[in-house]
Amino acid sequence: MQATSTTEAAEQTQMLRESAADFVRGSTDMKKLRERRGTLPGYEPGLLRQMAELGWLGILVAEDHGGLGLGFAEMAVVLEELGKGLLGEPLASTVLAARLLQHGANEDLKARLLPGLVDASALPCVAWQEGLGGLDISDIQTTARQDGESVVLDGTKRFVAGAAGAAGFIVSARGAQGLGLYWVDAKAEGVSLRHEWRADETPSGVLELKGMRVQLQDMLCPQGAQAAAALERAVDEAAVMASAEMLGVMEAALQMALGYMRTRVQFGKPIGSFQALQHKAADLYVQQELARAVLDDAVRELDAGSSREEQAKLASRCKSRASDAGLRVTREVIQLHGAIGYTDEYDAGLYLKRALVLSGWLGNSSAHRGRFARLTGGVVTV
Amino acid sequence: MAENAQQQDWNAITDEEFRRAAADFFATHVPQHLRHLSRRPRWAEVKEWYLTMSRHGWLVPAWPKEWGGMGLSQSKSLVYLEELERSGAPRVMDQGLMNIGPLLIARGTDEQRKRFLPKILSGEHTWCQGYSEPNAGSDLASLRTEAVIDGDEFVINGSKIWTSVAFDASHMFALVRTDKTVKKQAGISFVLIDMNQPGVTVRPIRNIAGHEELCEVFLDNVRTPLANLVGELNKGWDVAKALLGFERIWSGSPRQSTLALLRLEQLARANGKMDDPAFVDKYTQVTMDVLDSASAYEHFAQIMRTGGSFGFEVSMLKIWATETCQRVTELMVEAAGDLGTLSGEVDVQGELVDVLYPFLDCRAFTIYGGSSQVQRNILAKNVLELPS
Repeated sequence: MQATSTTEAAEQTQMLRESAADFVRGSTDMKKLRERRGTLPGYEPGLLRQMAELGWLGILVAEDHGGLGLGFAEMAVVLEELGKGLLGEPLASTVLAARLLQHGANEDLKARLLPGLVDASALPCVAWQEGLGGLDISDIQTTARQDGESVVLDGTKRFVAGAAGAAGFIVSARGAQGLGLYWVDAKAEGVSLRHEWRADETPSGVLELKGMRVQLQDMLCPQGAQAAAALERAVDEAAVMASAEMLGVMEAALQMALGYMRTRVQFGKPIGSFQALQHKAADLYVQQELARAVLDDAVRELDAGSSREEQAKLASRCKSRASDAGLRVTREVIQLHGAIGYTDEYDAGLYLKRALVLSGWLGNSSAHRGRFARLTGGVVTV
Repeated sequence: MAENAQQQDWNAITDEEFRRAAADFFATHVPQHLRHLSRRPRWAEVKEWYLTMSRHGWLVPAWPKEWGGMGLSQSKSLVYLEELERSGAPRVMDQGLMNIGPLLIARGTDEQRKRFLPKILSGEHTWCQGYSEPNAGSDLASLRTEAVIDGDEFVINGSKIWTSVAFDASHMFALVRTDKTVKKQAGISFVLIDMNQPGVTVRPIRNIAGHEELCEVFLDNVRTPLANLVGELNKGWDVAKALLGFERIWSGSPRQSTLALLRLEQLARANGKMDDPAFVDKYTQVTMDVLDSASAYEHFAQIMRTGGSFGFEVSMLKIWATETCQRVTELMVEAAGDLGTLSGEVDVQGELVDVLYPFLDCRAFTIYGGSSQVQRNILAKNVLELPS
């Protein structure tokens, strides 16, 4: 399935892009999106099944586990196109689960869970944050207490993306040997799930675990450095993919504004002829292109499989830029529309709200800036 | 490497191999005392270095071999400039090398090429650019320096401004008005002028960074033969636009902001600001801005490398690179506190740092080469397709 030459790879990526763009043309429905707001699971299961049939959920899953075994370049173009039509949810969330499973240690567990992710029949999701959130994976209170061969989990996870409709959760918890990763079935005893609502009124899971017993076969990663490394890596990868979706969101928002500016007439002229607005639009374009350039670099780095440290730096650069640019573009797009941009009926607000969600998820700009500073110690070579 | 670079087929090796060769050449030949100068040197100071490059065949990277150049591809030309910059080599009289030379090769007559190109290589002619005027900056097409035909010569009257190093130039290439009855761009011609004649007066202009590099050039009944017209009469605007595409990339390169960032880091380590979390957050932001500038630059450089072409979207590079550079130097002034009020090199806990020079110097970056505002106009009109 993997392309053998760069031209083949480029053609394959282009085909995926066109396929995703087609999908958006046929399936984006802002009326339905508005009706879905505040409901579970927060996406259309029918659309997700179609995406699964197209193989998209398996893009970043190895062929051994039923996936397409493609790369981040491929998933990035799909998510970018879906982002333009506000159809990124829940594909973006499944990336985190898909990658974490594959970086995990338990091969049997992977083999059990990945097929259900790929065909959307049993979606896993990841519960790695708690309390106030943040990018520090070790900042958690959920405990994993050894009890014979099994482990007992106690605690509350928060900001669980994709929790609604999930078959289960990969949970991070702290034990005597450090951070561990555990699979918890959604229907298990000791699990209770409720939801908070994100800026785009999609659900965000709050998962309470009380005396939740996890057997050996459901331990993804034993406690220690490996589990932490696996989680940090998966978060980086998903953050880059979220940045790809964000690129699509800001592209579509900017195009919406440009279209409006070309036709809206005030003072006898299209407002797009006013230099102040032209310059504002030009600045948004610059931000969009910066986000694209660093996304391309990050994707290349992830696909090249180079040093983890380089990947981490690029992931933080990428997510930081995408978060900032995405918010700025979608905010200013409202401004460029004037009052109509402020109405719920107009779509600009929907893009702003998706940008709010994406900018915060998996570390916002500020968090990644802090991380980048720590990773580089202030020494940078260009 | 004493072997003349002309004999090599540079495009047959990879960009990386060429980068090593260029780095080697510059490391070997750039005179020590001329490296990393903080000001642009006079012609007399760098002429010997210029001739060294010429002798070794390394003077004109982008000219075709038949005219004495290295025949480099656009992407290798970029590499050449990057390595030249990295080596700290001083800036030479490069208008001939970078602008008028390639222009004559592309648009000049064979007679003009034979007359002028060898003298650029020998250093006998040095060139300056006569474009802007006091009343024609961003609106260059409204220029008024006039050229009237008298027999087999043009008689030129007017003035040019912001002409770099005109005092060291033997020649000027200029845009002049040859028809006042038509639309402004349609009445402009591109001419070559000998500066060594009565009627040419050069007045250096001191800039806020304390250097006199820019000049005003007054032209009073200056004469130049009709044979010094490049391209057709009244078609000079198109001739001027024909200059190399990579000038648009080069003006958006992250090199200046990278250098500024290194100086900022040096200062912040010396004065303890690196331990201030508020400063570190701002520093990290500008660092990422510089890195993203480099990513964007590489994106366009890669297009060139693979033989592709790009359009007006390249204007985003100069906007971001130059404004980022300014933000870096602004942060440096802020981080320096009281030391940021002193001019010249100041002692910062044993480190000598010039805080104000980079800040003052880069105020010009967003102005020359198409101001940030003009670049935004270009993006709005051509890339975003917004109406006029």
